[in-house]
Amino acid sequence: MNNHLSEDQITEWTLGARDDFVSRHLETCRACSVAVEELRSAISCFRDSIHATAQRDNSFWRDQQLAIRERVSDWYPLHWAWVAAMAMVLIAAIFLTRAPNPSQNKATEDADKALLQQVQADLAREVPEALAPAVLIAEERNEILTNKEQTKSTLKKRRELK
Amino acid sequence: MVQNERAAVLIPVQEKAGLGMTALDDFTPLVRLHQQRIYRVLLGMVRDPDAAETLTQECFLKAYQRRASFRGEASVGVWLLKIAVNLARDHRRSRLREFWHRLSSSFEDVADLEQRLPDPHASQERVLLGREEVATVWSAVERLSPQQRAIFMLRFVEGMSLEEIAEVTSLKVGTVKTHLFRAVRAIRQRLKGGGAGE
Repeated sequence: MNNHLSEDQITEWTLGARDDFVSRHLETCRACSVAVEELRSAISCFRDSIHATAQRDNSFWRDQQLAIRERVSDWYPLHWAWVAAMAMVLIAAIFLTRAPNPSQNKATEDADKALLQQVQADLAREVPEALAPAVLIAEERNEILTNKEQTKSTLKKRRELK
Repeated sequence: MVQNERAAVLIPVQEKAGLGMTALDDFTPLVRLHQQRIYRVLLGMVRDPDAAETLTQECFLKAYQRRASFRGEASVGVWLLKIAVNLARDHRRSRLREFWHRLSSSFEDVADLEQRLPDPHASQERVLLGREEVATVWSAVERLSPQQRAIFMLRFVEGMSLEEIAEVTSLKVGTVKTHLFRAVRAIRQRLKGGGAGE
């Protein structure tokens, strides 16, 4: 046990907390007042060294202002270019990732197949589709004529046999 | 002078509109007003003049990019310090970058931070003692967490109140006080020639 200030009391005092007991003690105790002064002085020197190092000439600050201005100016169009690029990527992604419906896909495939078959049938046809009725009439007529010829020849053969 | 500068930095919220944070031309006076303090805080946090210079630029670029998010709850000065402290924290987290930077940067600059003392006319003994004290505080500060380091810098280098520091760090005043207490205690331990403390 000693009668000196504790570390906490010295720290509190340095941080600005004021206490009558500590104040009175510091007036009479050289060891504690030296300890407090040492801490205060060290922090003070530290602050001054940073302030001294951070003291730069006007050209440094002017250059920095220009550099900041330049970086902000560069960023501005770049920012909008980036936004536009991202928007385009997003739109492209939406279109590309839109998945086709399987049933719709099958129906389309069937329709395509039927159309292809029809085209092939049309190409295979000897007579154009528009003349098909005329062809039918001609075929019927030929059939009738053939039948007539056959009937005639049959009757002729019978007569000869008689 | 420090007090004047501090008063200038902590511009009231109502003056936000007066600062005109919408156009680049209006942004330059804001840079002029706050750049020295931002640079100084960053210098204290990263202990590297080159990095502090780059981070100061980063800070203002970020402020410009995020100017729409400035709600005016705090002053512009506090808002900028908040950005700066976060940047310094991120910078310190990047150990790899730190390693490469140490290889490439000028060691004299870092050493210079310990050598510089405000009074060039002080006695030789006082100068040496001062350098020793500064080096001791640095060795303790280096071992603090980024949060404690920021709080220590804002309190003792910038002379900010606990309430202002709480705003910058988004902590409660009580928490700021605890961090500060630990930081000062760590420095006291170093001065006594003891361990790191924190």
